[in-house]
Amino acid sequence: MRITTEEKNATRERIVKVAVELFKSGGFEATTTRDIANSAEIATGTLFNYFDTKESIVAALASEAVRRSRKSLITNTDRASFEEDLFAVVASELRELKPLRKFILPFLEIALSPIIEGRRTNTDELRIGHLELVSDLARQRGLLEITPVGLQMYWSLYAGVLAFWASDKSSKQIETLALLDESMNMFAVWLRGTDKNLERDQS
Amino acid sequence: MTINVSELIAALPGEEDDAIAQPSSPATESSNHFSSRPIPISRFRRLSALGTLQAKIAAAYLFYWLRGWFKSADEKQRLLAEAHWRTALRLLDSMGYLRGAVMKVGQTLANLPDIAPPEFVETLEKLHFDAPPMHWSLLRELVFSEFGDDPERLFVSFNKTAFAAASLGQVHQAQLRTGEDVAVKIQYPGIADAIQSDFRNLFLFLLPGRLGRDWENTRDQMDDLQRRLTLETDYKMEAENLRQARTLFHEEDGVVIPEVYPQFSTPRVLTMERLRGLHLREFMATNPSQDERNDVARKFVRAWYRLMFAGRMLYVDFHPGNFLVLDDGRIGILDFGCILPLEGDEWELFRKIDRPLTTGRQDDRLAVLKEWNDIGDDEPDRLRLCDEFGLWCWKSRFNAGEYDFGDEQDFRHGVELFGEMVRKRYSRSRANVITITRGNFGWRSIMYLLKAKVDIRAIAEEEVKATGWDRSGYAGRTLA
Repeated sequence: MRITTEEKNATRERIVKVAVELFKSGGFEATTTRDIANSAEIATGTLFNYFDTKESIVAALASEAVRRSRKSLITNTDRASFEEDLFAVVASELRELKPLRKFILPFLEIALSPIIEGRRTNTDELRIGHLELVSDLARQRGLLEITPVGLQMYWSLYAGVLAFWASDKSSKQIETLALLDESMNMFAVWLRGTDKNLERDQS
Repeated sequence: MTINVSELIAALPGEEDDAIAQPSSPATESSNHFSSRPIPISRFRRLSALGTLQAKIAAAYLFYWLRGWFKSADEKQRLLAEAHWRTALRLLDSMGYLRGAVMKVGQTLANLPDIAPPEFVETLEKLHFDAPPMHWSLLRELVFSEFGDDPERLFVSFNKTAFAAASLGQVHQAQLRTGEDVAVKIQYPGIADAIQSDFRNLFLFLLPGRLGRDWENTRDQMDDLQRRLTLETDYKMEAENLRQARTLFHEEDGVVIPEVYPQFSTPRVLTMERLRGLHLREFMATNPSQDERNDVARKFVRAWYRLMFAGRMLYVDFHPGNFLVLDDGRIGILDFGCILPLEGDEWELFRKIDRPLTTGRQDDRLAVLKEWNDIGDDEPDRLRLCDEFGLWCWKSRFNAGEYDFGDEQDFRHGVELFGEMVRKRYSRSRANVITITRGNFGWRSIMYLLKAKVDIRAIAEEEVKATGWDRSGYAGRTLA
């Protein structure tokens, strides 16, 4: 029997929907692919046609959220500096990722870690898209090309901010905003080789 | 005024002879630059992220002030405390807006112009307003996190550039959909935690004093200060203070407290009516006549007493930027973050103080001071000094007739007495003494700034009626 694209998309959507419900109710760790398949009323084998792992489901959701965030990003002309560019990019992502916050940490550990290689999920799109945007923003601000080392450093900071956010217990995750601002400032200072605040103080 | 950083840093007290203060080579400076700006997670790391230059100077003065407390401490411990301080000063770097408690201490010191030399007071204030502001993207996220919507949708207009900086936030001009011009105060993210962290650090520096007779009392005072600064981070509480204060004033008082818009206010965002006028320093720069200055001073004193007696709210945050002289001659009071509620024991104490404040008699004053400061019979010098300081604080109230608040010698005398108390470590008192002292010096500093000549006794006598106290035993009695 031939399955149409519409049917495939509907099944995919159903898997994602029930997975999110299960992650929310039972927690990410406790939920198995079998549980997801059962709830979606498909065979576990069928589920693997769509997603390799449960992390892949979160990765797909995260990718969609990040794509949406690009649309809500305020325009470049409203931003005053590279630091602010970076802050705005990550902050708009966090807004869209917010519904996933409760169960995103285990996914982050595997997918975004700058150290752990191997069990990568389909997060390359997320990673490459994000880093290309950061490189573009640096170019637009007339900064030097960010080296691979620089990008790795940035990715570590980014992953750190997301991990902090996922477990941030402060009201409305306000501490994450402080950390994000300082982290992006730190990266920009490193990239630029100077601190604008210090220059301002000394002028 | 051009600020030369190296000159200011050179002027920090107690740095010259410390090995840590040795200048590092340019190469070391450069290689350390990144590593000295870590993500502020631990207490010591947070300390490194505390400060602007202003915080450095404020911290230096705090150090200078506290050093007197360690005079009789073990030499080794004292040196260790000093080394900690200098290390901390070296570590302070330009984090920007996370200024926390040290910043507030700086503001308090700026209110004591004769403890901190005038050039430093000017510098502190200038740097205060020059503090790097939060960028628009951060502000937008802060507003979104509080209201679930962006500022450009919540308000008809929202000025992206702050028109005033506050120690715990910055203030933006905006317009409500209903047409009102408002001032929106937005708190720096993480400031409440920064304050907690700063106090833990402060305690580390104070540890060498823990064996002293008054350690428990010092700790109580620090706990109280921490509690009050933490309360200041709750804009909901400030909104409630504003609401209560607003009910106390009428048209004829010439005092305006801005209206709060609760639907646009949260614990971290405070939206209130925008008042237009000149800050006290701007007002003084217009070279007002003695009559004009006296008029402002009378309204200011009336407001202070009204809040105290009718509102049972002790206003202590006398930063000149908190007061406006409006175009029509009324005065506006802006910041109600730090209010000491007068209730229970505090109110009873204020009732008792009313007697010496009214009579000016030494025996009345000594009785209250002994109780207030827990002064024993074996501390004659402490009693003498507290009495002299009490006399300085209170004589403008019990003296009938005009009092010259602009008398520099008189003002300096008060500061010297306070300095002597600090040097002699006569700090034992009620837990809230730091807040009360801040208020005591604060209002006098404002009156000194205005060079006012007014009869505050007359105003006090009118306002104290709101208390309903039985004053028949002493009211009307004076030294004369």
